[in-house]
Amino acid sequence: MELTATQAQFTTLLDNDVLARLEKMRLMPRRRLTNRSRGEHHAAKGGTSTEFADYRDYVAGDDVRYVDWNIFARLERPYVKLYRHEEEMHVVSIVDASSSMQFDGKFEKARQLAAAFGLMGLMNVERVSTFVCNHAGREPLFMPPCTGRVSRRRLFDFLEKIEGGGDFPIDQAVEAALRRHRGRGIVVLLSDFLTFGDLERPLNMLFSAGLEVFAVQILAPSEIDPEVTGDIRLVDCESGHTVDVSSAGDLLGIYQEHRLALEEELGILCRQRSGRFLSISSRDPLDWVLFDLLRRKGWAR
Amino acid sequence: MSWWPFIANQWAWLFLLLVPLVIFYFLKLKRPRLDIPSLALWRSVLNDQRVNSPFQRFKRNILLLLQILLLVCLVLAAMQPFVPSGADRANYLPILIDTSASMAAVDGEGRSRLDEAKLEVRKLIDNLLPDQRLCLISVSSSARQLTDFTDNQRVLRDALDRLEVSQVASRLEDALRMTQALARTVPIETAVLYSDGNVPAEIDFELPFQLNYQQLPPAGKNIGITALNARRSDTRWDVFVRVEGTKAAPGVDEPPTSAGVALLQNGKELANEMISLAAGQSQRIVFPVETAGAGMLEVRLKPEGFDALASDNIAYLDLPVGRPLAVFCPVELESYRHALRGNKDVLLYPSGEGESKAASYDLVITDRKVDADLEAATFLFVGIVPDDLAKLVHMEEALAQVIDWQRSTPLLQHVLLTDLQIADRPVSAEGVRDRDYEDLGYEILAQGRTGPLVLRKESAGRTALYILFHTDRSTLPYRVGFPILVSNAVQIAMQQAGLSEIRGQQTGVLPPRNLKPETVYQVQAPDGSVSEAPSATDGTLSGVAAPAIGRYTIREGSTSVASIGVSLLTVSETSLATVEQLQFRELSVGVAGTMLKSDHPLWGAFAAVGFVLLLVEWWYFQRRPVRAQRST
Repeated sequence: MELTATQAQFTTLLDNDVLARLEKMRLMPRRRLTNRSRGEHHAAKGGTSTEFADYRDYVAGDDVRYVDWNIFARLERPYVKLYRHEEEMHVVSIVDASSSMQFDGKFEKARQLAAAFGLMGLMNVERVSTFVCNHAGREPLFMPPCTGRVSRRRLFDFLEKIEGGGDFPIDQAVEAALRRHRGRGIVVLLSDFLTFGDLERPLNMLFSAGLEVFAVQILAPSEIDPEVTGDIRLVDCESGHTVDVSSAGDLLGIYQEHRLALEEELGILCRQRSGRFLSISSRDPLDWVLFDLLRRKGWAR
Repeated sequence: MSWWPFIANQWAWLFLLLVPLVIFYFLKLKRPRLDIPSLALWRSVLNDQRVNSPFQRFKRNILLLLQILLLVCLVLAAMQPFVPSGADRANYLPILIDTSASMAAVDGEGRSRLDEAKLEVRKLIDNLLPDQRLCLISVSSSARQLTDFTDNQRVLRDALDRLEVSQVASRLEDALRMTQALARTVPIETAVLYSDGNVPAEIDFELPFQLNYQQLPPAGKNIGITALNARRSDTRWDVFVRVEGTKAAPGVDEPPTSAGVALLQNGKELANEMISLAAGQSQRIVFPVETAGAGMLEVRLKPEGFDALASDNIAYLDLPVGRPLAVFCPVELESYRHALRGNKDVLLYPSGEGESKAASYDLVITDRKVDADLEAATFLFVGIVPDDLAKLVHMEEALAQVIDWQRSTPLLQHVLLTDLQIADRPVSAEGVRDRDYEDLGYEILAQGRTGPLVLRKESAGRTALYILFHTDRSTLPYRVGFPILVSNAVQIAMQQAGLSEIRGQQTGVLPPRNLKPETVYQVQAPDGSVSEAPSATDGTLSGVAAPAIGRYTIREGSTSVASIGVSLLTVSETSLATVEQLQFRELSVGVAGTMLKSDHPLWGAFAAVGFVLLLVEWWYFQRRPVRAQRST
């Protein structure tokens, strides 16, 4: 029975009911960063879609087909009707697959969220691409842009097959992804953001590239509330570097201050670039994150 | 001079172990490894200024600090610090503990003075420092060294536990001389005396060291028998019992103490009398005892209420068999025989009824040297110069006069020698002084112008009185005092023979007894212990120690030879009087104002602190295991 149930799942990343609910959700970017190719997202500039946007005074040279004659009849002045231009939006996910994400289900949570954001993009006829960064110095794993419902299988297969491990810092990973990426839209950063590098530069690059940042910090419970005490030697799983800490239990208060300060700093960096930031625990239920938290934060509807 | 006194300063080099301790701590510190996703946060935490504050640095190395403190405590314990008592330290300290009878006096809590002394001495033993040696000396009528100078606390405690009260009076000279002898082998600067203060105030001794006189708290009130004697009166004995009590403390009005006094003869009660004695007063009770034969008397005092000392509530007295005094006096000394005939208790030899001599005599009055071989306890030689005085004095035919005489001596009591005409003159040799006679054991009772006239010598239970001039060649027989002189000699002989007056024997040494020569006798003490004592060539059995109250039985094999009851009978011990100042020959020693304080060793405290630090370090290291989620 269990085998049958497993085979019935569309993907191992998300349950079918979650998939069903996700298909009805739509990303809510603050900025309308779209591509010129036609899509289902209204562009900021006027367009030729059927959805009315505004009126403006008629000027010489305008196509008279867009003059609203009803208004002209009542006001005796010509006004031109403006329609929204629906363009395609790019949804790119950059997944941190380094060794630091291999703790306590962080990477698993990142893959699920990447699948969820990608599915929302696909179901809204956006161009969806995914970068997975693990080993520094190598090109990130890349799933080329795809669109449409038919690309779901491709997206899930890509995310299911990727393996974690490596030492790719998230700041360098963003730069490496941007070297290949073309298109405006939304970039979903899925990482723990625990890096020694500078995050301001990659965020600026994303902003310049016309990508609205949706940054999700995924931390393990042992990072949110570490239970350490006494004299210990901490080993960085990526670099192998060590730090000796004495009376670690007495430093937990300062650790929490620094962790919260990092969250605050990341949030400020994102907001200053019209982006969004969210910090979750790898133990947080996926349903709650997708259907409660994202909606309350206005990331999707 | 160090800022804090240590006994073993040489162990200070152990502080050098701090260097390898710190080095090894940092080199060999075993930290549990913990894999974490990133050091980014922890690096920023460690770079925080607060983490590097001095207090946080201290907390980071608290294990090292605990180990340093532990090592410091252990090194300090090894150096053996101590809290100085303020007094000069003595490496060799003799402890003189009074064990006389009064030390058995108990206070209201039932604790004896000896128990109090043991408590104080035990403190000294407990706080004994490794470079200090104690020597315990028991002081009673004699001194007994209980231990050598030792720092072995077990030996000292055992010796202290075995210490018991001797039922004898105090005498400090022997103990002080023993301490003086010990001072020849080890440097002794101070000796400590623990006593209840019931010791002789004047001590014939020159102190070569300082004496710390520690007086124990006083005991409660006491009442006891201080004298027991009997005087023969015709066919009966009058037994005199003196009961005394302690003085009341100044300003304290104590009610009189009632007690019952019972007289027992051979275990059977003869008389009983109740007395009421005010504090500090004494009372004499007379019990008439109608007996002609020997009897063993026992007097028991039963105080009503509190009584500090129990050992003085019993006394023994042995009544001799009543008989006439056997006196030998040659017929040539008619004047003496005439004087003797008037005494009805005297059996004179040789008598005119055919009895020429007896086996032994109580008194021999003679002017013949050959009679010195007679067996008698008292001799009165007339006109004889002893052989051992031949070089000191010789007789000349010249008139002599009495210059002075001892009017209180028993022989010359009520005898007036003024204007006595003597035809023989004893002349001392040139350069001979009175000291020379005394060195030979003679006491000058009457002194002439040129030499001694009357002498006395006591030796081995025998009293010899010498009248160097012949009384027939003097006016003495015509003087009123002559029969008194003879009567005094008879009284001396009767006392010597125990026929007229006897006293209860005090503890200490048994009185000499004339027994078989060169025979080993068994002496059974009141506690049942038996010791052997040989008699001398002349049959004298002497020097038998009798430290306990009760009856001593002298046996020859299975035959009982004598039974002697001894009791305390000491006014000073019963009164529990205390002496605040000991007067020595050249200086006096007062009671120390405070009890002797000993240096308090601290090594135990440091060792305990070290142990606690060890536990704290262990707890701190193990208090909570490191927990972290590992990668899967």
